[in-house]
This record gives sequence, C-alpha cells and structure tokens, in this order.
Amino acid sequence: MTITEALRITQSVPRDARPFAVTLACGFTPLHLQTFLAAHLQQALPGRRVTITPGLYGNLAGTLESISEANAPDGLVIALEWPDLDPRLDYRGAGSWGATAVNDIVASAQTMLDRIAAALLRTPSGPRIALSLPTLPLPPLFHTPGWQASHHELMLEAGVLRFAADIAQDGRIAVINPQRLAEQSPTAGRFDLKSDLYTGLPFTIEHADRLASQLAQALAPPTPKKGIISDLDDTLWSGIAGEVGPDAVAWDLASHAQLHGLYQKLLGSLADSGTLIGITSKNDPAVVAKAFERKDLLLRPEQVFPIEVHWNAKSGSVARILETWNIAADSVIFVDDSPMELAEVAAAHPGIECVLFPKNDYEAGLAMLRHLRDRCGKERVSKDDALRLESIRQGAAFREQASAGAAPESFLEQIGAVVTFDFAAATEPRVLELVNKTNQFNLNGGRYTQPDWQKLLSTPGLILAAVSYEDKFGPLGTIAAIAGHADGKRLTIDTWVMSCRAFARRIEHQTLKMLFETTGASEIEFRFTPTAKNGPLQDFFATLLAEPPTSECRLTRSQFELRCPALYHEVREMRRAEAHG
Amino acid sequence: MDDTRQRLTNCFQVVFPDMPQEAITTASTATVAAWDSVAAITLMNVLEDEFGFQMDLDDLADLDSFEKLYSYLQKRHQVA
Repeated sequence: MTITEALRITQSVPRDARPFAVTLACGFTPLHLQTFLAAHLQQALPGRRVTITPGLYGNLAGTLESISEANAPDGLVIALEWPDLDPRLDYRGAGSWGATAVNDIVASAQTMLDRIAAALLRTPSGPRIALSLPTLPLPPLFHTPGWQASHHELMLEAGVLRFAADIAQDGRIAVINPQRLAEQSPTAGRFDLKSDLYTGLPFTIEHADRLASQLAQALAPPTPKKGIISDLDDTLWSGIAGEVGPDAVAWDLASHAQLHGLYQKLLGSLADSGTLIGITSKNDPAVVAKAFERKDLLLRPEQVFPIEVHWNAKSGSVARILETWNIAADSVIFVDDSPMELAEVAAAHPGIECVLFPKNDYEAGLAMLRHLRDRCGKERVSKDDALRLESIRQGAAFREQASAGAAPESFLEQIGAVVTFDFAAATEPRVLELVNKTNQFNLNGGRYTQPDWQKLLSTPGLILAAVSYEDKFGPLGTIAAIAGHADGKRLTIDTWVMSCRAFARRIEHQTLKMLFETTGASEIEFRFTPTAKNGPLQDFFATLLAEPPTSECRLTRSQFELRCPALYHEVREMRRAEAHG
Repeated sequence: MDDTRQRLTNCFQVVFPDMPQEAITTASTATVAAWDSVAAITLMNVLEDEFGFQMDLDDLADLDSFEKLYSYLQKRHQVA
C-alpha cells in the first residue's frame, strides 16, 4: 500500500459511519504508521469510521497509564521500540553508550517493562489490544562486534520476550508474531536513520505499512473458517488407495510422503481446537475403511465427520457435508490435489475456498500448511470447540432417528433433552463468539466489538442468557445466547443467536417461554433485521406470528402460547440468584 | 493547466481533502494552517508516489508553497 492509497482509503469513509476509536501508543512520531494503521483497519472494518489518536511522544508507559474507563478507546495499538525502554537506546537521545551504561540500561529496561505490564493489566476490560515488540535493531552500543550478540543485548531481548510471554496470556492482548513480521518486512529494510533524526519516525515507509498491516490484523482479526473438507488419495496420504491397496498408501518420512503426514497432523491439531474436518473421495468405500483402520494414521478417525466415499461428483459430497455441518460454503476450505476437482466444487459452491494440495512441491506444501493454520487458527480454544464435532455427529444421529424412527413428537419426548439457561454468562468469551459468528438464526446480523459488547452489557435492565443443551445423544454445549432489556413489563430483545447445530429441538421456543415467564412480559419486541442469511430465524417468526416478521417485530404472550408446540425439555437455570441479586 | 501542475494539484487534494480547489495553487505553509510538519512529510511521500522519484528531507524546508513545489518538480523532470 502506498501513502496515497492509504490516504484515499481513509478519506473515502462516510462521515456518519459508526466511529471506531483507536489509541496508538508509541514513543516515536507515528506519522505514516498512523496513516497506514488507519487504512488497514478501515479495510478490516468497512462499516466503521476508524480514527487513530496517537499517545504521548516519548512516553509510551504514560499513554497506557492514562487510559481509564472514561476515555477507553475501542482498540489499543502498542508499537513498542527499544527507546521506550530506555532513552539511551534512542538514536535521537544524548545519553552515553559506554561500557558502564549497559548494565544500567538492562536494569532500567526491565523496570520499564514491568511498568508497561502493570499498566496493561490496569487498562479497562473493553478495548482489544494489539502489541508489537521492538522491530528495529538495537543501536551499536555494546562492546562486542556486531556479528556477536553481547550478554547485555541478549538480556534485553530475553526481558522483552518474558514480558511478551506473560502478557500474551491475557485474552485481550494479541502480540504480533516477530517471525511472521520478519517475513513481511525484512529486518534490513526497516530502519530509516535520516527519517528518525529529521522527523522522529524511525521506520521506512515499507516497514510502517507492513507493521501497520499486522497490527490491524491483530486488532480486527478475520473470522476463522469453520471447516476443512479434504480429498484422500495424494492429499491426506500419498498414493491411490484403490490401486496400491490401503496398506501401501503412505504419509511417512521413509516413503518420502512426510508432507502428507504433516497435513494429517495439522488437520488433527485443527480438529482438536474445533475446526470441522470432513472427507470427500472418489474411491471404494471398503478400501477407504481399511485405510482408516491403520493404527499409524496421524489424523484420528474420530476427528473426521462426515466421510463421503463413492464415485459421484465431489460437489454433491461437499453439499451433503455442508448440510450435515449446517454451515455455509464460505465458511469452509476444500483441499484436493486435482485442479479439476477443485474447479468442479468451486463452480457448484460459490464462496468456498479451494486449495490445491501440492504433492511434490515442498515449498508450496509448507505455504499451504501455514495458510490453513492462518485461515482456521483461533486465539483461544474453549470447551465448546472440543464438543463441536461430537455434537455434529450426534446431531446426524438425531436427525436420522427423527426422520426414520418414531413420530417427531414421541421422538422429541423420548430423547431426554435438557435446556440450561445461564443468566450470568455475559462476560464468557463463548457468548460474544456465538453472537459474532452465527448467521442463520441471528436476530439482526449485528456484530459486536468487545467495547460495543461492554456497552450493551451496561444497558439498564439487561437480561442476558446463555443457553446450553444436551440430550441422550450427548451435549451440544453453549449453543445460543439472547440479550435484551426490560423496562417494567416491556421487554426488548437486542440480540438473539442460536447455533445451527441446535436446530429442530425447539430450544428457541423454550427460550421464549423462559423469557415470558422470567420477566412477566405480555409482549416482546425484537430488534429484528432481515439479512441474506437469517432465513431460518425469519421462518421461525413467521410460524409464531402467522406472517413474515417486519422491522416492527412484536410477539405477544397469547400469540406465543397459541402457536408454541409442545416442549419436552427439562429446564435448568444457573446463577440466576447471582445475576439478579 | 499543464500535466505537472494538474498532478501536483491532485496530490494536494489527497493530503488536504478539505482545501477548496481554487485555494490549492496559492497554498503555502504561511496560508494553510493544516500544512504542518506532518502534512509536509505526507505531501512529500504522496509526491514520491505520484512522480516516482525520491525526495530528500533536506529539501523539505524550502518547499513551502505550491509554486515552489511546482518549480522543484519541473526541475526534477528536466533532469530526468
């Protein structure tokens, strides 16, 4: 991105767009870093008007210490450099570099790191924080020649890494990966001494752009993909199982097939953190079943569901997998070694991301592994992530029995369903995660930044419940959240989402029943907005209202009671006493 | 308006989006409050993007008006 492009991006935003205020804490003159940060953030947050407020020059810790509940921004970006830890590390400073200074520099840098860590701990809980560690080389002030790292240099770097390792445990703080930044912005091209001395900005334009890009990505990360659908032959393993036999396909070092082993390990790791893994393969099902019995498989069979193996078009398999997972194509990556198969699936499923498995190209193979991690990686893994695949497997069994076995009513009556409402889950990360990634059963498609969410939670008369579900097929975990506010008998719902995994269990009906009973409301007003994806929610309201919902969506208790089907859940409540005092 | 003058005007519009079109050709650091040191450096970089050459920070102090920048650009063009 050039400066001109960055300026044009920031100037093209409608002035009445909702603001997204960012504090940029850095000790130098932010200049182009500020411009590029605004532009990259603007691209990541197209509906918002990003404003960047630089902190105090030469006083990064002071900037952090000045942030309070009253002036908290929506986001906080910290661009740490060595001079922030000791002014003698600043080319613009006059402090001496002698041998006697270095011991003191190491000690004062540690003191400053402790001060910054303490200030970060005290920042309000709302803003998300992106932090970059020093990106510029240390000045040549140590006694060793430049090719040899001195004890003091290493002490400084160790101190910074300890500081980063500690604060990275804080769920609000995203630390920029120094290695990834080095790939984007090579170390030798970062520092501009003349710019530093003349303007106070020590970065080259290119480095300012790339660092800003990484900081923006950390502050407003893209939504992770939810699933990967993979081919088998020459993708999950090397070889054609139907030709060489299930015992001869390989994924190990000795067979020069380690790239497939690494791919399996990555899929297994992603599955452990909640990414769905499905298989589609044109193959003999019996041969594939034998291959999946092999004990040396690095991706465990229980981590994969569903497995579609037959000789028909893969686009059909992908359609069935998406239906089983109940997610849209644009939430999924399809991996295959055949460009033709990728093209066939891409044509049938617009929005799906198709990735070629590069069989014998190791450089491209590594790039693919990293790409998959980037697209599916998560900042934190919750217990609900671990439950996801199992709940989908159980959901498939649920649907199979519901459609094939007993009549729907008796089926629902016999599955031992338990719905649990947790009224004190407002700050659970899973609740905001659900709100921000649910599309189909979503009242209005509204997405919240952490500060926006905090504002909603401070609404007078707030009612918020996280909803969990389990039945004889197993637990689904926390699958729904509803938030609104009551004013006397008047109840308004601002946000309501439910995971598609929980459809067809009448949990949404039980949720409304709970609301009417809990609040005594005679009518509920919903802040409903139709979106391109919330058709299931619209259908639900159309059933209860006997007409399609409008922006003036209100449901009376008598309407609900008239059209609500029989509910068979056992209802449990958690933490109501604490939540409502 | 010749090509260099027009392109310079466009650069001013990028850096000073609120400046009226008619005020651009008479603009100087003395008459435009927004033309501070930060804007001067930004303008320099926008000119580098537009004209494809590197400018020297040492020249910045002298390039304090539209007309001076125009003359500077013409000289750079002649040298090129």
